[in-house]
Amino acid sequence: MNNKRKSSLRVALHGMDGRTYKTMVMYLQGPCKGAATVVEDLDAEVDMIDADSVNAKALLEQRQTENSVRPIIVLSLQELNLDNVLYVKKPVKTADMLDALSKAEAILTAKQNPSDEVLFNKKLFINKDEHKKTSKHQTAMHLDEGNFNAFIGSIPGLDVNDPKQFPNASYNPKEYFQGYFQSACLIAQTKKQVLHLNSGWKSLIIFPHNHEIWLDADDKQLRAFAGLPISSLSGPGMSLTPASAHTLSVKKELDKFHNVDAFLWKLAVWTSKGRYPVALDIHKPVFLKHWPNFTRLVVTPHALRISALLIASPKTLPDIAETLKIKPQYVFAFISAAHALGLVKQAKRQADEIVQPPVMKNNERQGLLTRIISKLRGHKS
Amino acid sequence: MSQYKIIFTGPVGAGKTTAIESISDVPPVKTDATASDMTKNRKSSTTVAMDYGIMNLAGGEKIHLYGTPGQERFDFMWDILTTGGIGLILLLDNTRADPFQDMKFFLDTFQSFIAKTNVAIGVTQMDLSDKPAINDYHVQLQGMGLKPPVFSVDARIKSDVSLLVQSLLYSLDPELEE
Repeated sequence: MNNKRKSSLRVALHGMDGRTYKTMVMYLQGPCKGAATVVEDLDAEVDMIDADSVNAKALLEQRQTENSVRPIIVLSLQELNLDNVLYVKKPVKTADMLDALSKAEAILTAKQNPSDEVLFNKKLFINKDEHKKTSKHQTAMHLDEGNFNAFIGSIPGLDVNDPKQFPNASYNPKEYFQGYFQSACLIAQTKKQVLHLNSGWKSLIIFPHNHEIWLDADDKQLRAFAGLPISSLSGPGMSLTPASAHTLSVKKELDKFHNVDAFLWKLAVWTSKGRYPVALDIHKPVFLKHWPNFTRLVVTPHALRISALLIASPKTLPDIAETLKIKPQYVFAFISAAHALGLVKQAKRQADEIVQPPVMKNNERQGLLTRIISKLRGHKS
Repeated sequence: MSQYKIIFTGPVGAGKTTAIESISDVPPVKTDATASDMTKNRKSSTTVAMDYGIMNLAGGEKIHLYGTPGQERFDFMWDILTTGGIGLILLLDNTRADPFQDMKFFLDTFQSFIAKTNVAIGVTQMDLSDKPAINDYHVQLQGMGLKPPVFSVDARIKSDVSLLVQSLLYSLDPELEE
């Protein structure tokens, strides 16, 4: 099987009568949107067994013996807790079925690399309720101007809000942990392999299949490390290896899982310390591909306003600050985070600058809208 | 005094009633009834007229929060509800069979209202079904020539609903002060 899956999973059905078999074929193609296709046993990658059929037990034992490499999905009215078997409760819900198929696919991918296999078996068979407790489900954290500086820190001797110092107010993510992390994610995604980023600091494991990372550090520790240029650190440097024994401790520490985007966003804010990425020309307009998913990110001061402005039309970073009458550091911090996620691009073609004309909707109710926002943000006005 | 409204719409079970409840200053008026049609497959009761909540602003102004009924047979009410509205909050249930079809249906239905105002989209139930992802929604919207805010939303969480409404208001005017 290739690393990059482009077709649906090939599934063999067992223990189903003719009518159920046909129904399942249509169900996988219809509600499951072709996530799996029913094939003959010899061509299958995954076994799916109706555990309520008369000979279910024998079927399961047979499949486990004859095709130990194939993931097995069992469908049952009863709650089942079988080792290394994916369970879908009847009546089958599409979300549950898609979840099981997704896990089966991840197992198949992991089996190509033996060191990944143990890890995946641990990760994929975690109790669902436990998994829901992880930090990836945390909601947005709001920062206002009052707590922004304390949150992101500053660069000694640099006033990022002084236009004369703008040329020195950039930073290169590649010189920080951020850059190494981004490269590691790219490699893990390309290889579709669980990787361990060895930084000589804290253990970090990347799970490309579900877009998560696991980091053995809290926010305070991460913030301190993010701001240190890697070149100034002593130690063996960065390396990337297939994850293996590190995974043994993962199961007990579900609160250390993070969604990759939410983590990278936060990491970029802390790395920037109010500066902008060196890859952007401060004198050329930038545009926003689409709104960030703010409900799951750190919302820096004025981030919503900056997004709305850049969605309306491309602007240079100083223009954004001037238009919104805000300090440049708020623009730079937001741009750094959005750039890390690939949401901000430099407008290189003339067409980029005229994607949408900078015409704001005539709004005679500005005062009213401001009062609504004030109310929503919990201000007493 | 003028009547200011924010409209919440979306399919059955997307969380309109809950979202209004999250930000309303008064217990919302619900017009739920026991589901007796296809809706019963998704939840035991559903909104058959409309939901209504209020946000009280400083100075005595009130923002009326209206939730449209999710069933298409009540779509004759939607035009009436949107008249004079500030903007549209569209909530989509990610566990439904085809959320993109739902999105297209509601964007088409409220096309003229959106053109006059704006829309922000909240995707609910992503903890139960993470596909399609938020980026997939943006790809679909790009094909429709739209770039509205799209957030994953838990309608029970006030800050989620609040951020979604704020994004709608800033879309109307980015120069609004915080």
